Amino acid sequence: MISSTAVPFEMSTSTTAPILIDEVRGYLNRSISDVFDTMLGLEAKPAAYCDLHASGQTIVSGSIRFDGDVTGVFHIHVPAAFARTLASRMLDLPEVELEGDEMVNDVIGELSNMIVATVKSHLCDAGASCVLSVPKVAHTNSSRIERRGHVDRRFLTFRCGADQILVEFLMQTSLLSWLR
Amino acid sequence: MKILSVDDSKTIRMIVGRSLKNYDCVLCEAANGEEGLAAAASEKPDLIILDITMPVMDGVTMLTKLREDPALKAIPVVMLTAESGRENVAHIARLGVRDYLVKPFKEDELIEKIGRIVNLQPKLVAA
Repeated sequence: MISSTAVPFEMSTSTTAPILIDEVRGYLNRSISDVFDTMLGLEAKPAAYCDLHASGQTIVSGSIRFDGDVTGVFHIHVPAAFARTLASRMLDLPEVELEGDEMVNDVIGELSNMIVATVKSHLCDAGASCVLSVPKVAHTNSSRIERRGHVDRRFLTFRCGADQILVEFLMQTSLLSWLR
Repeated sequence: MKILSVDDSKTIRMIVGRSLKNYDCVLCEAANGEEGLAAAASEKPDLIILDITMPVMDGVTMLTKLREDPALKAIPVVMLTAESGRENVAHIARLGVRDYLVKPFKEDELIEKIGRIVNLQPKLVAA
């Protein structure tokens, strides 16, 4: 069982549904750590909240929707330079051999898929059945898309060496009573 | 020895290829279930490594169609997917797969699972 104790590295714009959100946060913590360790040989640790989008640098974001008993979207945000480093490590290719954004996007999409699918599997095992979309990847240097309607939004920040990973997840609040 | 990797991620297909580079086998690739079925029919692989979540046709549909085709149904399949929910795994196991590897994965785990099904031979290095 995931503890529902508040943790310092989380920033929330939510006022509802702490139980499910805390469970998802716990799944994400373990999933990101496991994916980075297994696929990249890197240690990703929870860190103080950091708004990557405020830094002005280009951000690469992998986004995956989930629909079913719970509905929402996960965004995995990393700085573009770090995204290239991740692609280089995962593919075992020097960064200079990563032509254009195609392979970087594919790596970020696949890492996002592994991270989110692990969370989805835990939700399904808990009885909240849902399906995932294929990942979409975007490069932006503007602010995040504002949330619309009744959604609960959370941010988790991770530090990987000198680099940061920001995970944003939004869930429809109308469905969040599901696991209470 | 011919192995077919069906995954919409080129990254995963490259990692599968890298895992097999020291073995005497040919790797064929497909980016979705539809391409995977076509490649299975044309290439007659000894083993298929199959993802689930893919555009056009997902891995479960491809596996179902594969098992319905008399010419292809005997090809062993190893699932390589991030889907690890108990119900999903049980459902896929009922469709007939030889093994199931959950992403994230280590390359040596993949080789071990493949090696239990087909006779992987190290590539001979010229003297």
